[in-house]
Amino acid sequence: MIDAGMTAGSGRTRFPPPARRSWGRLLDYVRIDVPQTLLRMLPFPCRTGLVKIGNPGRDAPVLLTCNFHLTRERVRRALAGMDAYLLVANSRGVNVWCAATGGLFTNHDVISVLKTSGIDRLVDHRRLILPQLAATGIEGRVVHEKTGWRTLWGPVDARDLPAFLNRGCEKTEAMGTVEFPLQQRLEMAAAWAFPISLVTLLVWPFWARGVLPLMALVWCLSLLIFLSFPLYRDRLDGKRKQVGFIFFDFGERGVPVVLWLLFMATLTVLAALGGAFSWGMVARWGLSAFVILLILGLDLTGSTPMFKSGLHEDRLLKIELDTDLCKGAGFCEKVCPTNVFEVDTDLRMASLPRAGQCVQCGACIVQCPFDALYLRSPEDEIVTPETIRRFKLNLLGHRKIAGPTAVTQAKR
Amino acid sequence: MLMRILESAPSRYDFGLRLITLGRLDRAYDRLASHVQADTSVLDVGCGTGALTLRAARRGARVKAIDINAEMLEIARKKADAAGFDEEVEFVEAGVAELDAEASASYDAVISGLCFSELSPDEVRYGLAQIARILKPGGKLLLADEVRPPTPLKRLAHLLIRIPLVAITYLVTQQTTHAVDGLDREICDAGLESVSVRLSPLGSFAEFIARRALEAA
Repeated sequence: MIDAGMTAGSGRTRFPPPARRSWGRLLDYVRIDVPQTLLRMLPFPCRTGLVKIGNPGRDAPVLLTCNFHLTRERVRRALAGMDAYLLVANSRGVNVWCAATGGLFTNHDVISVLKTSGIDRLVDHRRLILPQLAATGIEGRVVHEKTGWRTLWGPVDARDLPAFLNRGCEKTEAMGTVEFPLQQRLEMAAAWAFPISLVTLLVWPFWARGVLPLMALVWCLSLLIFLSFPLYRDRLDGKRKQVGFIFFDFGERGVPVVLWLLFMATLTVLAALGGAFSWGMVARWGLSAFVILLILGLDLTGSTPMFKSGLHEDRLLKIELDTDLCKGAGFCEKVCPTNVFEVDTDLRMASLPRAGQCVQCGACIVQCPFDALYLRSPEDEIVTPETIRRFKLNLLGHRKIAGPTAVTQAKR
Repeated sequence: MLMRILESAPSRYDFGLRLITLGRLDRAYDRLASHVQADTSVLDVGCGTGALTLRAARRGARVKAIDINAEMLEIARKKADAAGFDEEVEFVEAGVAELDAEASASYDAVISGLCFSELSPDEVRYGLAQIARILKPGGKLLLADEVRPPTPLKRLAHLLIRIPLVAITYLVTQQTTHAVDGLDREICDAGLESVSVRLSPLGSFAEFIARRALEAA
């Protein structure tokens, strides 16, 4: 008992409770949300271990999240007012999806926090709610084998957690699908605009008066690109060969070119009306806007949860189903964040009616108990479930070190 | 998904670690491995690309090496095969939290390089308790890691040297190391007897030798 108390205590005292008063909450936003959104591309690790939320009893739900600081904060905020235990597992300070898909958030991290946090002694049940987007990295079967804990997939977005828990851990389709809502688009616009606006400081010695307008231009164009995303998302093509062509992320119709022309037209008209028109000015701002759009468009598809990065070879892999092996168990449908699958329970067979929405995250392949799913490369090589379970997706760029086990010969 | 920033290549790992520890690592590993006896049973905790594993194997020990990184293990396995140690060395993908699967009093030595600094305080405690259990009485823990320098002055001096090193190493290999604090105390708390602690001049890198007491039940 003393032991249990000590372990729980060490987890409890480590984290201050979320701020109750509004100024405290504001301070949290300034301290955590703002810097971590602006520097979104960097990892922000927080301490791993046990977090107590409210006053959890011995049957309180146990949830797990990653140790990206902002994610942990958001999960805690989402759960405010409830009684639960939250386990923070080591994802090297990276968000759940990227870490799990890139091999930084694996079975070992979940097993470790289950065994070393002392949670075993605090609750009577053995049921762990995992974030669905961790499905590429974490296998319930392995976690159960090593720890005795059963796992189930929670929602994609932490804000759905209360609804999920209140429904008895049942998910709606929306809870299991990634979206790119306004708030996320604003955050992504800021995440691009902030580092680029820092780069504009480089022109200070040559063109000091231009720095502030340049920064403003960066922010405006970034917001414009991400806010107008719903208008052009259907034209984006995640499969395009995107090296060597400037506005590669935008398919044939060149949305940034349109944006750029619009911007130039507005600028010219305004300048002419104000009597300040000069070809020098048009050239200067035309070039600036062009370069900024070029940088912002570098990895537009990769900045959305709907597409794989346009710079990544894995985007060319195709998800395929071996109908001889499929038994219609439906694990794929449960973990797919882009709603690719349809499972016919009568026929006991899955199908992929929306395969075009696949982002090659590999979750379905890892989770299929019958190894019925795999990826096929444009060179007709098969990336096996075994390979993806061990090495995840090829984010490390070095999967070839695995040798012949990594890519077997074409199946058919 | 913004993931390229995370890209790291384990093949550059060895080079990165050598760079960040200013070559100290090889000498430290040589010294630690010199305590490994032939025909003994050794566990390497967090073997990475197998630097300590292979040194122990060269001294004639049977080594089981664990790590949670499948790619590093793959590199380590290749190195071991190339050195002709495919019989003597066994690589297993497992973490410190999975040490409870090992039998009690089953190893003559446990070796570990730059692993504990990657662990959370909970994991350090758990891992050392497990190591104390699986070591045979009289068995040794041989551990090398980055530690927090003992005095503020040394911490400052270390910081000044470390900042450029970390920057260069991160740029070249996307790799870095962390420092662990209070490891000597944790080793004692786990019930192991400290035999020696060797600190680098700035107190930022330590080699611990500890052992499980002979009379331990």
